[in-house]
Amino acid sequence: MLMLSKPNSALIIVGHGSTLNPDSSAPTFEHAEAIIDRCIFGEVHCAFWKEEPSFRQVLNCVESDDVYVVPNFISEGYFTRTVIPREFGLEGAVTRIGGRTVKYCEPVGSHEKMTELLLARAAAVAPGVPPNETTLFIVGHGTNLNDNSAVAAKREVDRISAMGIYGEVLSAYMEEAPLISDWATLAAQPNVVVVPFFIADGLHSYEDIPVLLGIATESPGEASADGASVFAGNPYRLREKTLFYASSIGTEHGFADVILDQVAAFDSVAR
Amino acid sequence: MNTITAFTRWLEEGGNTIGQIAITRLPDGWELRHAEDSGELKTYCRWQDARALANLDDSGAFRPIKTTRDLRHGWRLVLATVAEVARALDYFYPAMLGLWNADARGELVPTDLRETLARQTGMYRITQKITDEQAHAMIGKQCSRCLKTMLWKIDAGQPIASLPPEKHERAAFPLLCREACNLLVGLARGVVKDAG
Repeated sequence: MLMLSKPNSALIIVGHGSTLNPDSSAPTFEHAEAIIDRCIFGEVHCAFWKEEPSFRQVLNCVESDDVYVVPNFISEGYFTRTVIPREFGLEGAVTRIGGRTVKYCEPVGSHEKMTELLLARAAAVAPGVPPNETTLFIVGHGTNLNDNSAVAAKREVDRISAMGIYGEVLSAYMEEAPLISDWATLAAQPNVVVVPFFIADGLHSYEDIPVLLGIATESPGEASADGASVFAGNPYRLREKTLFYASSIGTEHGFADVILDQVAAFDSVAR
Repeated sequence: MNTITAFTRWLEEGGNTIGQIAITRLPDGWELRHAEDSGELKTYCRWQDARALANLDDSGAFRPIKTTRDLRHGWRLVLATVAEVARALDYFYPAMLGLWNADARGELVPTDLRETLARQTGMYRITQKITDEQAHAMIGKQCSRCLKTMLWKIDAGQPIASLPPEKHERAAFPLLCREACNLLVGLARGVVKDAG
């Protein structure tokens, strides 16, 4: 466990957020609250693309001259490379803005600890189920413009496969092949564990993926607290397999540690 | 002066209302509640509780912009310190303490709508096609629901004429809008697309 102490620095955790429901920003706020409790930084703030504080507002709220910005995003892509730098006015890893030094860290999804968190989530959702008789699906969105979520999912599949724990490890997507809707024909094992590789629960994990899996028959509309009821139905027995459906990986409490690790990783690189 | 110090001074000088929230000094702390509420209220005691209180309106609908005039009723939040009150207010009215103090320090620079739209990329690039007339109508309709004081214009020579004068005047504790929010940019996309 790393021991960070930065009483003269601010941490800004950057998320996507949503104009439709509070689920998208909830994990980012919860990770921030967990980090606040540890009294590591002089200040901890969140900022969002779709909610407030916005990317454009948040630097007005920061008192410290030393500022770390950590994207709570799964993959390097349009948001981490274009939108966040543009909205914050970042010019690279280190940018001087109005007397402040703003340090732009890697997104959480790039961290090697993702593999460990995915394994923990997969094990927790299917207790007592032998992994060697299980197909593990890591589900990404796919086809998002400039989004490398598919690349990130494939990377994790390769890492977990190499460990030889699961009978089979596959990536699948909502909008590109291999499609998660084909899970039963893709999976060779009798047990199937599905972990959404998303930063938050919401429309995709509460509604879209359950419909594609066949464990929900219709979409009730906007995601809500009731959306979480899909996880209470585990295990699902259908298409001659036993299916376990997990909530999005970004709701893992371990993400707070990953955010801190990305700050430490930034500091470890000479610039 | 940092934000907590400035906010503490504001409270000491008798400040007691921010947006729809009434702040009351207790013998050993602070109470926040909806300014329209009185009588028996459900009590909460953690600054983190403010997030859930701010998320939904009285009908249970999500509030993507927390400064709209639809803060839910029926609660009181009791906190020990000004720092906790400030944290709670960051959930009720995100960034508003920081912008208030930045404004007091002369550091707050508004961004006009044309500049906001000009830097949009991807699916929001199309918002650059919104006409001044469409923008005025959209802002008049949407921004009147919000408590923030409007600091920006359509462009340098064109103030927002479709809002009542009070939207441009600072309240005792002003909630400041320094730039069109992302919700408005999203609506602008809809306006342009609908206009074909």
